[in-house]
Amino acid sequence: MSAQPFLPDNTVEAPGKRAPLVLGGNDFASVTEKVCGIVERPRPPRAWYVAFAISSALTALLVAVVGYLFLAGIGVWGLNIPVGWGFDITTFVFWVGIGHAGTLISAILFLFRQKWRTGINRFAEAMTIFAVMCAGMFPAIHTGRPWFDYWLFPYPNQMYVWPNFRSPLLWDVFAVSTYFTVSLMFWYTGMIPDLATLRDRATTRVRKIAYGVLSLGWRGSGRHWHRYERVYLLLAALATPLVLSVHSVVSFDFAVAQLPGWHSTIFPPYFVAGAIFSGFAMVITLLVPVRAFFGLKDLVTTRHLDNMAKITLATGLMVAYAYGVEFFMAWYSGNPFERFALANRALGPYAWAFWIMIGCNVVAPQAFWFKKARTTPWMLVGVSVLINIGMWFERFVIIVSSLSRDYLPSSWGYYKPTWVELCTLAGSFGLFMTLFLLFLRFGPMIAMAEVKSVMPAAGLERGPHHGHGQYWGEIPHQHDPQKGDARP
Amino acid sequence: MMSQVSGPVSEQRRLGAMGERLWRGAALAGVVALGVSLGVAAATPDGWRRFFFAYLLAFAYVLSLALGSLYFVLLHHLTNSGWSVVVRRIAELFAGTLPFLGVLGLPLVFAAGELYPWARAGFVGAPGKAAYLNVPFFAARWVVYLAVWGALGGLYLRRSSAQDVSGDASLSVTMRRWSAPAMIAFALTLSFAAFDLLMSLDPGWYSTIFGVYYFAGAAVGVYALLPLVAFLLQRAGFIRRSVSVEHYHDLGKLLFGFVVFWAYIAFSQYMLQWYANLPEETHWFVVRQQHGWGWVGLALVFGHFLIPFAALLSRAPKRRPRFLAAVAAWMLVMHWVDLYWLVMPAASPATPALHVVDLTVLAGLVCLLVAAAAFLARGRALLPEGDPRLAESLAFENA
Amino acid sequence: MSEPRAVTAAAGPRRWGYLAEFDSVDALLAAVEKVRDAGLVRFDAYAPFPVHGLDESMGLRTSRLPLVVLGGGIAGAAAALVMQWWMNAFDYRYIISGKPFFGLPVAIPITFELTILLAAVGGFLGLWVANRLPELYHPVFASARFRARATTDSFFVAVQADDPKFDAAGTRLLLEVAGARQVEEVEDE
Repeated sequence: MSAQPFLPDNTVEAPGKRAPLVLGGNDFASVTEKVCGIVERPRPPRAWYVAFAISSALTALLVAVVGYLFLAGIGVWGLNIPVGWGFDITTFVFWVGIGHAGTLISAILFLFRQKWRTGINRFAEAMTIFAVMCAGMFPAIHTGRPWFDYWLFPYPNQMYVWPNFRSPLLWDVFAVSTYFTVSLMFWYTGMIPDLATLRDRATTRVRKIAYGVLSLGWRGSGRHWHRYERVYLLLAALATPLVLSVHSVVSFDFAVAQLPGWHSTIFPPYFVAGAIFSGFAMVITLLVPVRAFFGLKDLVTTRHLDNMAKITLATGLMVAYAYGVEFFMAWYSGNPFERFALANRALGPYAWAFWIMIGCNVVAPQAFWFKKARTTPWMLVGVSVLINIGMWFERFVIIVSSLSRDYLPSSWGYYKPTWVELCTLAGSFGLFMTLFLLFLRFGPMIAMAEVKSVMPAAGLERGPHHGHGQYWGEIPHQHDPQKGDARP
Repeated sequence: MMSQVSGPVSEQRRLGAMGERLWRGAALAGVVALGVSLGVAAATPDGWRRFFFAYLLAFAYVLSLALGSLYFVLLHHLTNSGWSVVVRRIAELFAGTLPFLGVLGLPLVFAAGELYPWARAGFVGAPGKAAYLNVPFFAARWVVYLAVWGALGGLYLRRSSAQDVSGDASLSVTMRRWSAPAMIAFALTLSFAAFDLLMSLDPGWYSTIFGVYYFAGAAVGVYALLPLVAFLLQRAGFIRRSVSVEHYHDLGKLLFGFVVFWAYIAFSQYMLQWYANLPEETHWFVVRQQHGWGWVGLALVFGHFLIPFAALLSRAPKRRPRFLAAVAAWMLVMHWVDLYWLVMPAASPATPALHVVDLTVLAGLVCLLVAAAAFLARGRALLPEGDPRLAESLAFENA
Repeated sequence: MSEPRAVTAAAGPRRWGYLAEFDSVDALLAAVEKVRDAGLVRFDAYAPFPVHGLDESMGLRTSRLPLVVLGGGIAGAAAALVMQWWMNAFDYRYIISGKPFFGLPVAIPITFELTILLAAVGGFLGLWVANRLPELYHPVFASARFRARATTDSFFVAVQADDPKFDAAGTRLLLEVAGARQVEEVEDE
């Protein structure tokens, strides 16, 4: 950790030049050595055990409170009419949102040829998988009789009934499960070459068998790579609209309703921007300590952090735009209920939550206009933690403040969570961290094959390999005379 | 490869005499078309009303192309892009027309009473909105939007042209530094311009996504405009070595992406209001589903989404410049149909039939847009020759 | 070395082919092009990461997997539409919140999700079927050099002995001239 070599500043990119993405004189072998070394050391560092102890204790708490919920029923939560959704759905949307950064980094930045994604994509994808697992738990446990959750799926049954496809809650079931499945396939596909590296380096029998089976016998064949790259591109192209659709569908849960504060047409893109915002904040929160702790500053460079902070700022501004448009349009609508709902948000009984949200989501990320904040680890983590808090409160504000005061003042109410809900929220963080720590211990946390492919020795900078694709006939096709045209 | 292209210029990079002919011819055609429109407006019953709506529609159309171009330029700098340098000048030229479009936009302020119910005396249809929907405030906002766009469009064209001569890399740094605040100003002005110009045609209706909807159309517009213009320039013998199939391919991908984005935004707006079924919202769609307007909406579903989606889905079509240019031309038409569907039900809810003045005004403003862009191209190269990333763009290749 | 293949096939381990190791991406690409130009077809290149341009140097045809993905997508869309219509508008009709039994706007989200799901599953499974993976045993794994470095930092070219143009001495020479650090004979069990 302390033996980091001197690393040049790669956040400055002079026009016409591209800054390196891998620093510290690394070559292919040292990249492998560094990433595999983390997994191969006989026992993890003490801090890992401490973190794992805490997170598994929280996971145990989660199991306990969910067990209690199952035994006692939903009444142990603070939910009651008019507020039927509280911590459960807030936390569900929060975790789904966190799960968006991974696929964004893997798929969208891949399509946009952002090569810096290679340093962080594996990490973020793993985070996606675990966040979606945490998210999926909440709708499942909030149904009251969770042992009937399988009724959500359209399977032939002796009751002769089918689920109601006109309900957005059912769309959620399809969207989240599709997202989980596709993210898992994408993650696993990307990981196979790295699992093969771990297999080839494995020294114990257990590791040889485990990584051997998981890597499916991958051997780096050019014929395999050819199809692999094609499918990876297609999976990225499929995952990109998917990632947009998932949070859009989640937003439909609210936006199709007639409730003021929920029914707003900007919700789909606004939720997507917010999800990416929170997801990137979570990646920064976790990555900054991990890269320092495992000595990966030359693979996950300051430039990576700088770029992530910029994306966080950009998406944060989109979220701020959506807040602003919502307020403007509530006023512009001339609809007294709309106007009341938004005024109530900012000034009503949940104003405290609203202003936490504004402070964390609109004010705090403005720090990222300054390079100092984008490149100083503690500032990055500080702002990112605030954003995560703010994004949890955003969902809380939308859900609870709108539900607590709707059209009929006689049915207004004030929702307070119980200790069971607080413990469930804390426990979900425990589950997330437990899974994440296990991944750090046993999986390749940096996509070695992809990092290698953007290093100078990989030859990407050689310039065009084949003809430059001139269209107008009179320009002779520029061929390397020794090669000829490879494609028939 | 690199030495071949960054060496002596062996392609036609300036419009020269053809540019002179183009801008004069287009300007003349534009003025004539507008003159004809005025004549038609004067000669037909209710012609002036239709003329103003046609003007609003055509203006919203050319404005969206210029704003789309400004967006392209700002995004290019914001993301520090390399591949798009060779087509950036085309976008800069169209964004550079914004000061001129500002002048063309002023008549709308004077026609507000014809176009917008809220601007008429004694209007009571939208209670509580008078503080926003009134002619003086509308005019003041309009001036602010036009000033912001004109300043940005002019500034980026001038800076980039200065770099052609000096090759000064620090200009890239400055343009990049200003791109982020410029993008914020762009997003806010475009959204509110969409609310003012198009949404307030029906003062009772509101949709928070509407600004994004107009933006999506503008983005489709620019990603169609660029390959089409690049193709036409190349066909006429210009910039043949610089813009390659690789650039067309990328523009095609972006066009495809924004066709899908437009569909996503349009679907979100439609489905959410359809589902909630609130009368104050659905009346807007009801108007657009009756008396033949439903067919226009259906034409958008197919022509603005499904057909281009199928046409551009696979790799090969995007790498055929002629085909891509044809799809781009089609999308420019469909983008106009989209705006027609937004604007004209306010003028003629009873029928979607075209009025001749719709087409003559459109022809007039499009010709004037082309004339302005060609006028700006005089004495300028058709690509930013001094950009330090030009070599990267020339050598660019889709992996 | 130069005995005919028929003889070796009868006895114990059989020669599978040659495995040549190269130091750099450029050496790999140059060697692969030489092998291809020599008319050999049963050869493969091995790299620890996707090498830009390798498929063209190897002369590989464009994969048809995109068609599998497209087919999956179409199947998903059709299945979703039919399922939603049949279940809600035909087999078990009930009015809820004033919505039509089947309305296209509400059917879109699930149609979209199933389109993506089946397309992605098609691509994912298609990839492993086309690549004939999992295949936990392969002759090249017999090479210690290959096991040590093929997925880390070295590049290999393998030419199979059952290639019609394979020639024990000539092929070895070809690989050596192409700049191989070393050429190894690999046996199949």
